[in-house]
This record gives sequence, C-alpha cells and structure tokens, in this order.
Amino acid sequence: MSAIEVRNLNKLYRARVKEEGLKASFRALIRPSYKEVEAVKNISFSVEQGEILAFIGPNGAGKSTTIKMLTGILHPTSGDISVLGLDPTKERKQLSYRIGTVFGQKSQLWFHLPPTDSFTLLGAIYDIDKMILKKRIEELTECFELGDLLKTPVRKLSLGQRIRCEVAASLLHSPDILFLDEPTIGLDVVVKHKIRELILKMNREQGTTIFLTSHDTGDIEQVCRRAVVIDHGEIILDQPVKKLKYDYLNRKIIAVRYDVDQHMEMPKGVTLEKAGKMGARLSVDTHICPIDEAMRWIISHGGVADITVEDPPMEEVISTIFSHQAVTG
Amino acid sequence: MKWIEKYSTVLRISLQNTFVYRSNAVGGLLFYSLFIFVFFNLWRAIYQGGEVAGYSLTQMVWYLCMTELIVFGCKSSVFGQMNEDVKSGSIAYQLNRPYHYIIYQFSNALGGMIFNLLIYGTMAIILGLIMVGPIPGFRISALPFGLFSAVLGITINFFFMMVLGLTAFRLEENTAFFLIYQKLVFMLGMFIPLEFLPKWLQSIARCLPFSYVAWAPARLIVAFSWDFFWQVIPMQLLWIFISIILSVSMYSYGVKGIQAHGG
Repeated sequence: MSAIEVRNLNKLYRARVKEEGLKASFRALIRPSYKEVEAVKNISFSVEQGEILAFIGPNGAGKSTTIKMLTGILHPTSGDISVLGLDPTKERKQLSYRIGTVFGQKSQLWFHLPPTDSFTLLGAIYDIDKMILKKRIEELTECFELGDLLKTPVRKLSLGQRIRCEVAASLLHSPDILFLDEPTIGLDVVVKHKIRELILKMNREQGTTIFLTSHDTGDIEQVCRRAVVIDHGEIILDQPVKKLKYDYLNRKIIAVRYDVDQHMEMPKGVTLEKAGKMGARLSVDTHICPIDEAMRWIISHGGVADITVEDPPMEEVISTIFSHQAVTG
Repeated sequence: MKWIEKYSTVLRISLQNTFVYRSNAVGGLLFYSLFIFVFFNLWRAIYQGGEVAGYSLTQMVWYLCMTELIVFGCKSSVFGQMNEDVKSGSIAYQLNRPYHYIIYQFSNALGGMIFNLLIYGTMAIILGLIMVGPIPGFRISALPFGLFSAVLGITINFFFMMVLGLTAFRLEENTAFFLIYQKLVFMLGMFIPLEFLPKWLQSIARCLPFSYVAWAPARLIVAFSWDFFWQVIPMQLLWIFISIILSVSMYSYGVKGIQAHGG
C-alpha cells in the first residue's frame, strides 16, 4: 500500500502586486491589484511505505507548499491527496497522530526551556502514555546522542544540536511518515552527515517512510533512493537517485590555485570554466574523466596551493535536466 | 479525561516558561509601581475632598491598581504571538498537532498569566495599602465575587484578542485592529471608570464588550453591590459566549485560506 498518493494537485496563491514608487503605493491602497501565482501545478506522484523520497528543487519551486498540503496545513486549490489513507484537509487531526514534521528553518521547541520540557509537552499533546514516553525519550536520546542537551535551554544549543532535538521531537509519537523540510539547511558538513545517518537509521529500524525536501545534492545522494525534481510547481523528473546521479550529478567543479603560472591543456571530459593567471575553475564530467584521474592530472602540474571540489549547485542540475528533457522530449 | 491532562500540561509548561523572564518581571513591577504612583498623585490633586462620580479617592486609587493589574498581568498578548507565528511561519508547527488550536492557545495564555497576576496582584495590594490604606467598609467576603468577575474580564479580553489575532491568517497587516481595540478598552473603563464619561457614552459602552474587561471587575472590587454584580456578570458571560463563537468561526474560516509564509 502506498503511504502517500497525490493526484493532479494544484495550489493557486493570490499575491498582491505593487509597482515601484509612492504613486503606485497609493494606487495599491485604493485598488489593490493581485496576480495569481501557481505554486504547484498539476502534480501527481506516490510514495510507498518505507520509501525514502527526495523532493527536490530550487528555492521557490513549490516544495514547502507541497509538504504543507500533504500535512494538512495548506488547503489545495484542486486535486486529491491521500496520506496513510486519510485526507489531510478533512482529517488533519487523525493524520497528525501518525505523521511527524521537521521544518529546518523553524523551531517547535520552547526557546527558553530545555528540550525535555518541550518533549513532555509534545508527549501530552500526542496522548502518549507517560511510561511509553519515558522509554521513547530514552531511545531517542541514545540514538540521537542527546544526553546533556536535553537539560540545556534551547537558546544555548548550537544549530546542529537544536536540529537533532527537533528531529527527535518529531519522532516522539513514532510517526509512520516523517516529513523533513530542508532539515540540513545551514548546517556544517559534519552535522549534515550526522543528520543524514539518523534519518537512514530511523528508516531502517522503524520502517518510517521519509519524505524529504532539500536543495542540497548531498542530502539526496546520501539518503534517498528515489528523487522527484520539481521546478516552478511542476514535476520535471521522477526516477531512482542512482539514475539521477548517473545522468545529472556526474559533474564536479574543481577550483584550483597554483603557486606559479600555468599553461594547461585540458584533457578529455574537463572543461575550463574560468581561467585566472595562477588558477582555474574546472568542470569535470566524471563519466569521461573519473575524478581520481582529474585530480592526478591537476597535481601533476605541481605547486598546488589550494584546491576545492564541489558539486554543481542544484539550480544548475535542474537547468541541465531541463535542457536534457527539451532535447529528448 | 485525557484532554484535561493535555491542556494542563500546556498550561504548566507555559507557566514554567514565564519563570525564565525574571529581570523582565522586576522591570515590569517597577514600571507598574511608577505608573500607579504618578496617577495616585494626579488623582490626589484632582480630588480636593469629596468624591467624583461616586468614587472616593481611596476607591479611585484601588480602582486604578485593579485595572492596571489586569493590563500588566495579561501583557503576554496572544495577538502579538499569533502575528509573529504567522509571519515567521512557525504556525505550520502549531496547526498540525492533535489539539484544538484555540484551547491550546487559551491554556498557553493562562499559563503565561498566572505568575504575572500573582506578582502584580501582590504589588497592587502593597501599593494600595501604602498610598491610601484599606477602603472604608470593604468586605473581604465580597472579594471572591470581584475576582470571579476579573477572571471573566480576562477571558473576554483573551478571546477578543484571539479573534483579532486570527485575522493574521488572511490579512497581511492587522495591527490596526489591535490598536483600536486596545484604545477602546483603555478609554472605556481601564483608565477612568465608566461613570466619569458622559451619560450617552456610558449607555453605549454598557452594550459593548470593552468595559467588561476592566471596569466591571474593578468596580466590583472597590465598591461591591449585589445589584451591580447581577448587572455585569450576565453581560460578561454573554460577551465570553459571543467572543468564543467568533473566534471558533474565525478560526475555521481563517485556517482554510491561511498563507503559510517562508521556506
């Protein structure tokens, strides 16, 4: 049985528009003009129970809007949603017992109180038996290595520590589905890795279905098995991450700086994006030129002062997908 | 009885949260005392013996202590908090929980008020006793009825703020409503007793909810009469009923069209 079923989902916003300047402000005061914004356009997909799905796209693509509709916060303009067999719009309360949400940029913990108080409160809100709650908190404390954090006021936690507590808080009532909206935003590499591991662990051990939105390619590569790419409110791709990786995440950006002037002949699969006197920005197609070959080639010139390797930003991956789809139709 | 436990936990955690703001409480108490002191002097200058509109100086000062107690005690406004939640988008966390949003906010607000009301209440009694002493003919046995009316007043205030706060679900900017409401409560009984106003305005105000927040309980406390009690309590209950109906319908209307910001 699928955990989430979405058919022809649409969400229209009415946004107020105003031109620049005082005159326009005054005009807008008397007769405001609106424009319709299609945040989500006719999307359909389904998620199986126990699946880990990445819902990805650049900022403003409609990811959060979709999550908010799936959890019943926003009402869709049209279309059908079924989450665990329930209609989020009409059966929000029943559904809320069975799903957990984490919004990376917001907090559900009480800012001045230690997380343990927020956990007690959530326990009461979700009608969790005191003994069960206690056991569950112990379990999550161990799994998320919360230990001392539980007794520290939230305002004194670092972002990484707080997010760990936020995710744990969303799992107190053992939800069947966990919605994560940009859970790793603003975190450093180590903490990101930690959060990803925890998500995987929850999925493996408890069979929790994971619905994750992100615009971080790392989140997708390391956590998810399937990816749905959304842009301008439309699904432009729905395929296994493996394939996505092979087709689109095959490029690495390498920025290198040398001690001395270099004249470089590009090998096959490496293109020069930007050349400086002492350094360069290169784009490597790892299908043609594997990354270790590229690195060896760079180092062979000698005198490397600094080097960074990055994934291309999500925006670029998406435009590649677009151009690819335009070609193949 | 699960729901009692649910909302009492909300109240308890919210109460715990108020203990964090210790310096805030001290600052508030100082400001409260200063405020009362300034107006005590003003009223003393105005009252050159005798009474005004049925209030003696002693009663007037106690009246002020009581109405300001309601203002200061209920400072943590549900309106401001809801506005912030909608604007920051953290409303998303509050909406998909298995509770009734309005009852949750009410328990939350109560938890935030209990401690404040206690400390400002103590301060009110101390200040009143120091400045003018006890009210002649004051009967302690009548106090619970006055306090009961104060609870009703605070409840009216809460639910009207809730109604105004709920407009944030649909409107981009709603602080004007709050300012108007606040000024009406202030002018119609909080700052001066209703009896000080012209007759025509008094009779209008008696049909509106604003005076039942502070005027009715404060007057019951400083000049109790059964006659007045039976006049105002039904009105207070009526306004509580109306404001609850309004907030529940505003909520179900608002939540359908909420614009969740951010992210």
